[in-house]
Amino acid sequence: MKTEVAILIPKRKEIKRHTKKVLKGNSAAAEAAKICRATFVTAYPITPQTTIVEEIASMIARKEFDATSVNMESEHSVFAALKGAALTGKRVFTATSGQGLLYAHEVLHAIAHLRLPIVACNVGRPSYPWNIWCDQSDSIAQRDTGWIQFYCENSQEVLDTIIQSYKISEHLLLPTLVVLDAFYVSHTNENVFIPEQKLVDEYLPSRKKSDSDIDIDNPKSFGGLVAPDMYDKFNRLFWEDMNKVEDETIKAGEEFEKYFGRKYAAVEAANIHSGTKIILITLSSITTTARGVIQSHPEVGLLKIRLLKPFPKKSILKILKKVNGACILVTVDRNFLGDNEGALMQEMKRALYGRTGKIFGVYAGLGGRDVPPSTIEKIISIDFNSAETKEIIWIDK
Amino acid sequence: MNIKKVFEVRGHARGGQGMVTAFEILAKVFSYSKNYEVQAFPFFGVERTGAPIQAFLRISPDAILNRSNIYNPNLAVVFDEGLIEQTNVFDGLPENGIILINTDNHPSFYKGKAKNIFTVPATKISLEKKLGSKSLPIVNAAMIGAILKILDAGIDDAKIIISKEVPSKPEANSQAAEIAFQSVVGFTDSSFHKTISANIKLTASPNGLLSVPYWDKPMSLNKTGNWRVFEPVYINRQPPCTENCPAGTDVRMFVKLASEKKFEEAYSVIYSHNPFPSVCGRVCPHFCQQNCNRNIFDEQLNIGAIERFVGDNNSSYHFNPSPILYKEKIAVVGSGPSGLTAALRLRQMGYPVTVFEALPKAGGMMRTGIPEFRLPEKILDREIQKITEQGVKIILNKKVSVSELENIFFAVVVAVGSHIGTDMNLQNENEIIEGINFLREIKFNENRKSICKGDKVAVIGGGNTAIDVARTVLRLGGKPVIYYRRTRQQMPAIANEVEEALKEGVKIEFLTSPVKLEKNKKGDFKITMVKMKLGEADDSGRRKPFPIKNSEIKISVNKIIKATGQVFDDFVFADTTVKTKQGRIDFANENIPVFCCGDMAWGGTVVEAIGSGNEVASEVNSFLRKADYAKSRRSNDVVSADQINFAYYLPTPGNPNPFKKVKKIFNDFTEVVQGLPSNKIVQEASRCLHCGDCFNCGNCFNFCPDAAISIDEENRLRIDYDYCKGCGICIRECPCSALRVEEENKLVETE
Repeated sequence: MKTEVAILIPKRKEIKRHTKKVLKGNSAAAEAAKICRATFVTAYPITPQTTIVEEIASMIARKEFDATSVNMESEHSVFAALKGAALTGKRVFTATSGQGLLYAHEVLHAIAHLRLPIVACNVGRPSYPWNIWCDQSDSIAQRDTGWIQFYCENSQEVLDTIIQSYKISEHLLLPTLVVLDAFYVSHTNENVFIPEQKLVDEYLPSRKKSDSDIDIDNPKSFGGLVAPDMYDKFNRLFWEDMNKVEDETIKAGEEFEKYFGRKYAAVEAANIHSGTKIILITLSSITTTARGVIQSHPEVGLLKIRLLKPFPKKSILKILKKVNGACILVTVDRNFLGDNEGALMQEMKRALYGRTGKIFGVYAGLGGRDVPPSTIEKIISIDFNSAETKEIIWIDK
Repeated sequence: MNIKKVFEVRGHARGGQGMVTAFEILAKVFSYSKNYEVQAFPFFGVERTGAPIQAFLRISPDAILNRSNIYNPNLAVVFDEGLIEQTNVFDGLPENGIILINTDNHPSFYKGKAKNIFTVPATKISLEKKLGSKSLPIVNAAMIGAILKILDAGIDDAKIIISKEVPSKPEANSQAAEIAFQSVVGFTDSSFHKTISANIKLTASPNGLLSVPYWDKPMSLNKTGNWRVFEPVYINRQPPCTENCPAGTDVRMFVKLASEKKFEEAYSVIYSHNPFPSVCGRVCPHFCQQNCNRNIFDEQLNIGAIERFVGDNNSSYHFNPSPILYKEKIAVVGSGPSGLTAALRLRQMGYPVTVFEALPKAGGMMRTGIPEFRLPEKILDREIQKITEQGVKIILNKKVSVSELENIFFAVVVAVGSHIGTDMNLQNENEIIEGINFLREIKFNENRKSICKGDKVAVIGGGNTAIDVARTVLRLGGKPVIYYRRTRQQMPAIANEVEEALKEGVKIEFLTSPVKLEKNKKGDFKITMVKMKLGEADDSGRRKPFPIKNSEIKISVNKIIKATGQVFDDFVFADTTVKTKQGRIDFANENIPVFCCGDMAWGGTVVEAIGSGNEVASEVNSFLRKADYAKSRRSNDVVSADQINFAYYLPTPGNPNPFKKVKKIFNDFTEVVQGLPSNKIVQEASRCLHCGDCFNCGNCFNFCPDAAISIDEENRLRIDYDYCKGCGICIRECPCSALRVEEENKLVETE
């Protein structure tokens, strides 16, 4: 073969104060923990999360990352130790997946209600039938523990979301779970722009000391029995702060753009306008493939949900004001929760209460089943106006 | 080349070949040096080394808007040509798609499978660069080079990135990439250059599942056996016990049977090589036991006790005489262990056999030389009786010479043993007692008068006869002192016997040799002894003693008994000089073929005599049947202790032989060493390491990473070569060295 044409240099510019690296989602998560200056990391390996904690451990060993890493005996202990460390006022990090997250369930409640601003990653995989591939049922099963949940579409978003999560968490004193798809994000190498340390430090200063931290000079007890009246009060205050998360997410995203040049919000709309006939509502990596497909379908819009918990009702309703009443909403759920609807369908119905219009729920990609462009094509080619089309559709049936 | 749209690559490899890393490196090459958008990700079907895996690579000038697997690749890459017959690597390849295969074959070999075929000998290149091993070549760097060639992307930037990214051997890896870059062979139609960057029209996608690797089907479909270069096989290797038994007894087998309480079967196993289990269980030095691999771990197996138990436990075992098949009558001269063994073997083969014994009782040295307290008469009687009940005829009190037998017999086996004492060449030597005669007198005539109570007795010699003499003297009330010219290490006597003698109160003076004997009027002796020192090793391998000047001492004793070795009685050859050796000998009278065995031809122990008898029987048979005779060979593959994986055995104390409690040794000729009870025998036999013999411990089964080892209907372990990748873990973890690695091509399929 002879060289026929000179190599075409794409026009993409280098980004200021960033270094480009080819990283997989898991490496981006490890990198984020480092540049956010987490000082304490607990770990228990589980496929497909393992490389996150492995890379953190090797960065610490190479003295590139100044933190203490502790290999625990279970995920329950991983989160329990993290809880104790966070009580000292330190910034902490961990990552888990599937059964590991389910095992930690009890401690997740404790962390949230102790109002600890912990950020953790979850590489989504299901539990049973036993499977290691991509699915969101593990993290969605933790919706009601009081954690904020973000779902990331690619490696860059994993890195950026972790940085923003510390900002939001530490402001509201609520923990955040950053979810990435098994393999489609966790093990996919792609271009990631890593901000320089100073830039991150400017955006995300050290965690502020608070009166409720452990202070050896002023001993306090934590986690004591709470009487009913106080319990009610704690929850009401939690509720008040939880209701601020959507706005804080938008605020953190706008501020992030000023520093890093990449804009984030609670949701992202693409191709949504008065002429949109169908809107696909997606989470995570399926969004990318849907973006590709709608390039040749101007009548199809895309609504990416980035903040799943608390569900960003305000942002969604604002976007949906642009479309007319005949526009069909289709949620694509990569999770089965033992109910008729998947998580996106449930949350959307809740958000849309009192509005008219049709909404359908599609199950696709469960347990790592591939969602190629043809599957997206198949979804948008469904005759949603036919009376025979059911509300819930298993697309690969 | 110019990539204007998303270019998709699908790779086929086996887990462990480094394809995922290769695709990561390619992504970096295209991102860092060419500023493309990239996506590289693996598709793990099953997490097993060697199982077929896929990996994907997308390269694009713009954002890649697809996060699904690749079904219709622009380029399919095959890292292992063995996968072609196992998975359809051509699946979904568009008409203008390209396939690159790691193979030594020319692309035309695959003609018809695709339009654009390229090959590269990546395995050969990688092995030349010493990347990986023959069983697991690491071909990824070479494949990167070849892929870059196909994509016309240059190699220079890639070399830098490869040497930075590979976990080891950066230089060799980047060289392999460059060589492969230059070694790609193409087979394309003329439209290749036009099609490579053209828009790939997707054919209908299978939507969802890839055809391989299977993940919705049983794991068993992912066969990994064709990746194997070396393969493990179960073997049966020679254990040191069996190897070192002069009689050729399958020691490991009878020990195993004893551990399973199959004492009768164990008896048959011993008997097929040794018709004297009860005798040998008592008097054999047990070369098997001395060479037991357990020696370096804790303590040797007490095989002697097991043999003794198996022999005694089958005392009522009944044999039927074998049928006479041949007319050739055979004479055996001498009824010691070698003569009787030879006679029995020949009788079992179908020959009429007559044994001639000069003494009134059969048994040879077992009868005359071994005292009652080591080998009770009734034990010997029983084992000889079993031989006669199988049809061997013994004529007692008949001292014959070969010439007397020549017109009656077709062959004669001479096994007269060594019963004549040798001289020390000292004056007055004829005045002293010959040890072998002393022992015979005690056994045959109950003649205990030669020693009086309180006699100081000097015993000269260091062999078993000297020890037996001294212990007998002790029982007669004498005070024996053994004088031996070398040290304890050089003593030819069985070590256990020396130990027992010392315990009983026998004294031994080492490095001492008599030079002068004087008899006084009372009939007592004065001996002049000289002290010795050891020099260089002599022909026997023992260090030769030399007298030390001016070291003479004089001692007074009542009796002297010498036991300095024996020779055979040449009456059998009618006093002609004959050079004896094992098997057929040259004999002046050619009318009858003469064979030799036993002490006069081989070693000096009962078991060596038995081995000698077995051997001569087969030689005689070969001679009479006019067949070729081949000496039985020793094995050249004996399991040594360093081949035993002791981590898998528990240190277990052995069961030593119990000793009779003696209050007063005077006149007590009852057996000293006692047998072990059956539960202890089973326990002792269970200590066997099973050197070179699979005992179904299941380690290989447990450790096989591919679950390729199963247990068949007969409860034996079997390797399923459809899945075995030849990793060798089973061989390494086998406790007893019963697995061996063999080169793949030498093997025949197992059943």
